[in-house]
Amino acid sequence: MHTDNEQDTLPLVPKGIAAEAGGTGPVLIGGHCPHCRRDFFPRPRYCPGCMRPPQERLLSGDGVIYSYTVVRIRPPLGLPQPYAVGFVDLNQSGLRIFGLLNHGDIDRLAIGKRVRLKLGPLGQDGGGQACMRPYFSLVAAEGDDD
Amino acid sequence: MTKPVVAGVGMIPFAKYPQRTLVDLGAEAAFLALQDANVAPGRVEAGFFANAVGSRLFGDSTIGQNVLWEVGVNRVPVINVENACTSGSTAFYLACNAVAAGQAEMALVVGAEKMCVPEFGLINSGESEWDTQLGLVAPASFALRAQRHMLEHGTTVEQMAQVAVKNRAHAAGNPMAMFREPITVEQVLAAPMIVDPLTRLQCCPIADGAAALVVCSEEMARGLGSAAVRVEAVVLGTGGYESPQDLARWETDFRVCAQAYEKAGLGPEDLDLVECHDAFTISEILHYEALGLCPPGDGGRFVEQGHATLGGRVPVNPSGGLLSRGHPVGATGVAQVMEVVSQLRGQAGPRQINGARIGLAHCMGGDKAGDTKSCTVAILGI
Ligand SMILES: [Zn+2]
Repeated sequence: MHTDNEQDTLPLVPKGIAAEAGGTGPVLIGGHCPHCRRDFFPRPRYCPGCMRPPQERLLSGDGVIYSYTVVRIRPPLGLPQPYAVGFVDLNQSGLRIFGLLNHGDIDRLAIGKRVRLKLGPLGQDGGGQACMRPYFSLVAAEGDDD
Repeated sequence: MTKPVVAGVGMIPFAKYPQRTLVDLGAEAAFLALQDANVAPGRVEAGFFANAVGSRLFGDSTIGQNVLWEVGVNRVPVINVENACTSGSTAFYLACNAVAAGQAEMALVVGAEKMCVPEFGLINSGESEWDTQLGLVAPASFALRAQRHMLEHGTTVEQMAQVAVKNRAHAAGNPMAMFREPITVEQVLAAPMIVDPLTRLQCCPIADGAAALVVCSEEMARGLGSAAVRVEAVVLGTGGYESPQDLARWETDFRVCAQAYEKAGLGPEDLDLVECHDAFTISEILHYEALGLCPPGDGGRFVEQGHATLGGRVPVNPSGGLLSRGHPVGATGVAQVMEVVSQLRGQAGPRQINGARIGLAHCMGGDKAGDTKSCTVAILGI
């Protein structure tokens, strides 16, 4: 059990793809090419459309599960056993991205359910230390009986 | 441009070889292919060696030179090829191109892998990408496709299990296959769950193994006296990696298959057999659709109705496929071409498809942004 204080000191892995953004909660660190009007996640060095460097764009982590699965074999990278992953369609940017799903949600996952990005303790890093990871967590929808 | 032909094939049974080295496995397959083509090693003008995980597991590199030296192939260009599961089929692609361009009149392709060692973990596409760092392992990316296919097309777990059952039944006739005992749909579904909804018997097993091919010009083949099989087309494509990717209809798979048909001037209706990359049961169902063997979405029903079974409309994976032959990554793409060649020559024993004239070998490898890193399709004819 971690206190909020201890959680804040845990390292976030992998680095550079998600961050807390003040009042709005966690966001994904993506890119945007104003010339091609395209969003990217993660941010590429060059826009594949025009080769200009994309700007950083913080992407909302609100979305809908496009597909999901539960990995039940011995997990890699210090992840818990079992752990859940999926593709999430992000509401704002329209990107479909791969991500971890909250393993507390495993029995309630379904395609089409609403999720929101969180940063929290999940498994251990390469050195065997507890770490934080970005993951998508189910959002209770209106009329949902969960 | 000269048309390349396959003039010799050789492989060792895919199995566990704890006492043998990677070089030893590759050299035996190379020897068998040269012997089958009835050529001395001095006639080989280029060598292409495929291996995917040797550098990671054994810290070794440029292994091809070691393998080819064992069978007397030296001084000529030797190229080491790593392209995930398509390493072997990429080596074949390069050899065909070298012969077609007149850069080598004869090329030797060897694919070898040794992975049944304690150090071996779960296959993923490397740890430099953010998605593999978030736990994307190979079976998960196919499980995610399976979930979509089930939702969109009504594909059932029983239909997926039938792919494993069919390929195991085919493997009974293939002495090169690792697993040859028949299995039932009930057994497949009762096996331990790996990644929902794929059970262990729906995931191809790792193996040690090696396979080799002699590729040469048509003119040279005429003088050899072995049964040469024409390469009508061989193509290699990579993913588009744009977001969003459609996980139930694989754009890269459809695109590369269409390109191969166009190049060969042939279509799915011309095929007598297919060897495809059944790394997982759902993979084979997706490939039926990309190859145009059935309409998009109908892959589950296609296998259920027996169309992909030996004796059916288009037998798929008569060798037993990756699911039963085993998957020594660098050797797989070479072994697939060898199966097509053996069938077209009428040398496939109890699993022979009578009168087979045209066959196709399809392979896929790696994962990036919900897409494949590599896809190869070769169409061969006699
Ligand atoms: Zn641009």
